[in-house]
Amino acid sequence: MRPLPEQDHYELLELPRDAGRDEVERAYRMARSTWAEDGLASYSVAGPSELALLRERVEEAYRVLSDVDARSAYDEALGALASAKPIEAEIDFDDEEEKLPAELPAEIETFEDLSGPEDGRWSGASLRRTRLARGLELEQITAVTKVKPVYLRCIEEERFDALPAAVYVRGFVTAYARCLGLDPSRVASDYLERLLAVRPLHSERRRPRARP
Amino acid sequence: MGGGKGGVGKTFLAANLAAALARAGERVIAIDTDVEGANLHTWLGVPSPRASLADFVAGRVQDPLDLVVATSLPNLGLIAATHANHAAAQPEPARREELLARFHSLPCDFVFIDCGAGAHPATLDYFLAGDECVLVVHPEPTSLENAYVFLRAAFFRRMHLVMQKHDVRERVREAMDPRNPRGIQSPLDLLREVEGMDPEEGRRFAKSLRSFRPRIVVNEVESAEDIKLGFSVRSVCRKLFGIDADYVGYVNRDPAVREAVLARRPLVELRPHSDAAIYVGRIARRLSEAARESAG
Repeated sequence: MRPLPEQDHYELLELPRDAGRDEVERAYRMARSTWAEDGLASYSVAGPSELALLRERVEEAYRVLSDVDARSAYDEALGALASAKPIEAEIDFDDEEEKLPAELPAEIETFEDLSGPEDGRWSGASLRRTRLARGLELEQITAVTKVKPVYLRCIEEERFDALPAAVYVRGFVTAYARCLGLDPSRVASDYLERLLAVRPLHSERRRPRARP
Repeated sequence: MGGGKGGVGKTFLAANLAAALARAGERVIAIDTDVEGANLHTWLGVPSPRASLADFVAGRVQDPLDLVVATSLPNLGLIAATHANHAAAQPEPARREELLARFHSLPCDFVFIDCGAGAHPATLDYFLAGDECVLVVHPEPTSLENAYVFLRAAFFRRMHLVMQKHDVRERVREAMDPRNPRGIQSPLDLLREVEGMDPEEGRRFAKSLRSFRPRIVVNEVESAEDIKLGFSVRSVCRKLFGIDADYVGYVNRDPAVREAVLARRPLVELRPHSDAAIYVGRIARRLSEAARESAG
């Protein structure tokens, strides 16, 4: 690890030389939050001018690394590795896929072993653990799925009584699971099983409709 | 387990990480060194330990192994820090050194050392005695402020012990005062200073700096933002201190933790399927892997 003043753009953003577009985006957002004015992490160890300087460097690093031409010129100047992935190759939008709520990219290096169900069956708690392991807030899930945070929270906390009819819950859980990059039908069927164990089907008729 | 500030969860983590590994079949001893605020025994459900560190300090017991008391878990022993004589609560430096050396030879797979709050030299020595030094932070400024002071103090103390030449050691000592006349603040400032004084000591310093890898744990997280804080703290350590910290995990705020302390039982035993217990289990796995790796 070289001292900060000598660090190149990759080192500054803590990125490998072959980092793809998503990784650059994520590292940039993380660095912005780390060195934010009044940021929690730098409290008591960095003054306003030091932080401003760091933010300037972060912006410059991002400007270069997020631009194909600027980056390859920079890589060349660094004598960089030829192994860098072509960054455009990652944009691959399928028209059909676009109609469905998309998967949200992880905001942090994923705590992989905290993703997934503990005992092989999905539950509200394992959904929440998976979401947090990807560094996502409920509001971000809402932005993609259009399911209100209050419902998402009830799903995670398994407050089955506060949830609408099962058919809506299935829709919500499916959208939520897809957003986390999980197998939506498997998650939804595990979840519905838990819900119906507590809230049997015959009670479903009295359930309110959802207002997502 | 260190962290500078009281109440961030050092003892909770020490107790439950130790219990988690014991439940996984490892032989574990948890040691409370917080003689001014002993609590580890309560987290582990041992209301009044018959022996404690105080017996070693007072010279009543010579071998720390004789201080180990049983807990509710068959693989987990405890050295408590109860009934301290507050006229002389911590062992004298030479005796402390002896104690730490003996900690290393305790007949078990893992030892967890719970440090008290603050950055007293004794606390720093206990913290540095670990093969893995875990820094516990809480997502609030008061905790981070104390954690950075603690980390800096621990690092400077480590360097004071590692450096061999008298004048270099003296310079490190001077640097422990944040208002030192040479303006040495971060470990990197000190590295430059030492390199300028003596290249050989400089190399030794750089080597020791590289091998110092504190493990960050964020306790009582409530949001993704709190989880991200661990990565940011890691960046601050790397960028501003030159310390290659690692982020080993987080534990969420979970009412089950309070339940466990009220029941005076380890959380991982009382509520093994609670969210917090799952997070603790993950950190325990990561730490044991890291410790095994560094032990070769």
